[in-house]
Amino acid sequence: MIPNLFEIFATPYLLKMPLMWLAVMMPAMVLFTPSQHLVTGRYILLKKWTMKQFTKQIMNPLPTQGHKWTVFFMTLMMTLTSMNMISLLPHTFTPTAQLALTMALAFPLWMATVIIGVLKKTTRSLAHFLPEGSPTILIPALVVVETISLLIRPLALGVRLAANLTAGHLLLQLMALAIIHLPTPMWPATVAVATTLMLLTILEVAVALIQAYVFVLLLSLYLQENI
Amino acid sequence: MLSRLCQRALAPLALRSLAPSLSAGTLQVSRQFHTGQQCLAPITPLPEMGGKVRHGVIPEEFFEFLYPKTGVTGPYMFGTGLLLYLVSKEIYIITHELVSGIAIVSLIIYVVKKYGPTVAAFADKLNEDYFAHALACKNSAISSLEEAIESEKKEQSRVEGRKYLFEAKRNNVAMVLETNYRERLLTVYNEVKKRLDYQVALHHLKRRKEQDHMINWIEKSVLQSITPQQEKESIAKCISNLKVLSKNTQAAV
Repeated sequence: MIPNLFEIFATPYLLKMPLMWLAVMMPAMVLFTPSQHLVTGRYILLKKWTMKQFTKQIMNPLPTQGHKWTVFFMTLMMTLTSMNMISLLPHTFTPTAQLALTMALAFPLWMATVIIGVLKKTTRSLAHFLPEGSPTILIPALVVVETISLLIRPLALGVRLAANLTAGHLLLQLMALAIIHLPTPMWPATVAVATTLMLLTILEVAVALIQAYVFVLLLSLYLQENI
Repeated sequence: MLSRLCQRALAPLALRSLAPSLSAGTLQVSRQFHTGQQCLAPITPLPEMGGKVRHGVIPEEFFEFLYPKTGVTGPYMFGTGLLLYLVSKEIYIITHELVSGIAIVSLIIYVVKKYGPTVAAFADKLNEDYFAHALACKNSAISSLEEAIESEKKEQSRVEGRKYLFEAKRNNVAMVLETNYRERLLTVYNEVKKRLDYQVALHHLKRRKEQDHMINWIEKSVLQSITPQQEKESIAKCISNLKVLSKNTQAAV
């Protein structure tokens, strides 16, 4: 019996009740607890420190008007990171592997940056369609290319996150399946696959963190262009 | 809908002029956040160290709970039995998820064992830096206040010396006045003496001039009054006197 590998990406249901909202909220609720103390323990302290570093990193290049988006961006990053990291544990559901979630985040936010750019700095945001210093003969082609690149941004943003996570989890499941079935015929292959699985797990942890960071970073870049 | 009406009723007067759909939202905008503590319950004190755990996840209290009845191996027997029960009854099914679970859990254990102490030391250092900074602020505030107290006390002690200061100043001024007065007195004396000396010198000069004049006049009169006959007689008298004297002297020798 070959199990359906894509079952892990099916939306969880409990007695016909959809648990998607729980899967989305739970990581943030569990991992990120507020504290009323001025001086906190190690966990919250490290979390605060990490968030401060990331905030400085991402929000520094933005002009002052863009700093209104700080709370939103950082919350988004925290949510995505926590969702990605928790999904690495066994028998968990990956909300960010669902295109519905990532597109629902990417598309409106990209649209918001474009609208801000068009409303506040119409000429400047239109000027982004032609990079500086481009040869005159290439201008028509470049404008078309830049327009397409602009329009593809939300798609890229959403699909990047979903695809990375889906691919990673799928590979992990495949390798695990191989380890389960391989020892009987050939155990040296099992050792090789187990090593690869370990390395892949390390990669998946890195990807989980990086993809969340990249999502927020790209949004901040799009905001920087338009604000 | 009803809640929106209630919110609209709560909205300040200025916002009620807006359309109902907007005024409810603008109430949220006009409300201030984080003006005070969100929950007024007393804050529980934070324990300095976390609860003791065995094997990273099982609290020590569980082992202590089972110890009186089952001894040291009790919890481990319980754990093994539970796992075997779950697996044999196929409540927990061995799937590929278990293998990937083992991979990620072993990775987590490795990372925690290897980098745990470093990260913990870093976190403790962050706390210590924060504490040290707060302590430094407190100490600098205290020291600046102490300095202020010291300077205030010094100023207060200086107030007592004020009397002596003014006394000295008064003395100085009196001395200066006295000096000035004496100088003026001396000047007056000198001027008066100068005038009197002038008068005295004038008087002396007059007397001397009179004397000289008188002497000259007497000499002139005497010389005019000497006739030639008198002159011859006096010369002869002188010669005879001299002869007498010379005889006397020869006699004495």
